[in-house]
Amino acid sequence: MDYKYIEQLVERYWDAATTPEEEQILRLFFRQSDIPQPLLRYKDLFDYEAAERSIGLGSDFDRKVLAAVVPATPVVVKARRRSWAESLRPLYQAAAAVAVVVLVGIGAQRSFQKDGAAWDYNPASYNDTYDNPQQAYKVLEDGLEMFQRTASADTVQADKQVVSQ
Amino acid sequence: MQEIDFRTDLLPLKDQLFRLALRITLDRAEAEDIVQDTLLRVWERRAELSGVVNSLEAYCLTVCRNLALDRKERKEAQNLSLESGSYDAADNTLSPQEQLEHDDRLRRIHRLFCQLPERQRSVVQLRDIEGKSYKEIATVLGLTEEVVKVTLFRARQSIRQQYEKIEAYGL
Repeated sequence: MDYKYIEQLVERYWDAATTPEEEQILRLFFRQSDIPQPLLRYKDLFDYEAAERSIGLGSDFDRKVLAAVVPATPVVVKARRRSWAESLRPLYQAAAAVAVVVLVGIGAQRSFQKDGAAWDYNPASYNDTYDNPQQAYKVLEDGLEMFQRTASADTVQADKQVVSQ
Repeated sequence: MQEIDFRTDLLPLKDQLFRLALRITLDRAEAEDIVQDTLLRVWERRAELSGVVNSLEAYCLTVCRNLALDRKERKEAQNLSLESGSYDAADNTLSPQEQLEHDDRLRRIHRLFCQLPERQRSVVQLRDIEGKSYKEIATVLGLTEEVVKVTLFRARQSIRQQYEKIEAYGL
């Protein structure tokens, strides 16, 4: 890795010419454990700054200062007005969640049932869909026509694509 | 600015204020008192501050610094007969436990920072520890951005010089 950029940043840091963002890059860089040898000498400086950043006051201080402030600030519970639609919102959410679970359950159950019933390929056990042969012939003819239309439309589209390319 | 809330607006600033006060006074107990005074003082003035102060954080830092400087001046006035040129004598920034935990080199660097004049210390604190912009520092310290930049430059040059001595000779 090329560390020239970091070296330049360090140099600019000493000259107070770095931006806060560049200084943040330096902090992050020197937080690593494996710093290249020429830059290692600056690690202590940035370690020191990081350690100083973690200095603070504990919860004892909070108790002490809050005790001095609390008489002036009684805890006020602010009541907010909510419309009936807003207050029923959790109910809608619960109902929606239940509906989703039920619908998914029904769907899953149906699909499992379908999968469970094996296909019967024996022509002897086929049942006629239509009683009237003419009606059956008409339905078959319509189906074949539709198939032909779709197939020819696909062919025309494919030809157009070839031509345009 | 909306109405100031002590717990959510002021109390979270305590650590930052403490670090600045500590950097100026170099005394933990005193710095803690200063933070408490700062928070209570700002809290008492909350009614007049709402709508007037743009950044509560910057305002608190300014109050904190002024209180720290007042205390330092008073302390120095009381100790006129004593030689108070060096900050080392008053260096109680680290608790005994922390003293043990910090290794020797970090303690030396700490001393470098503490030996800077107060204004340089405050600028370095706000920039290098708290990561503030020149504009924010200028607001807190009541200086121009240019002066802040020059002060930071001098502080870093001084630290560099001393730091390289430590590196070279272990001084």
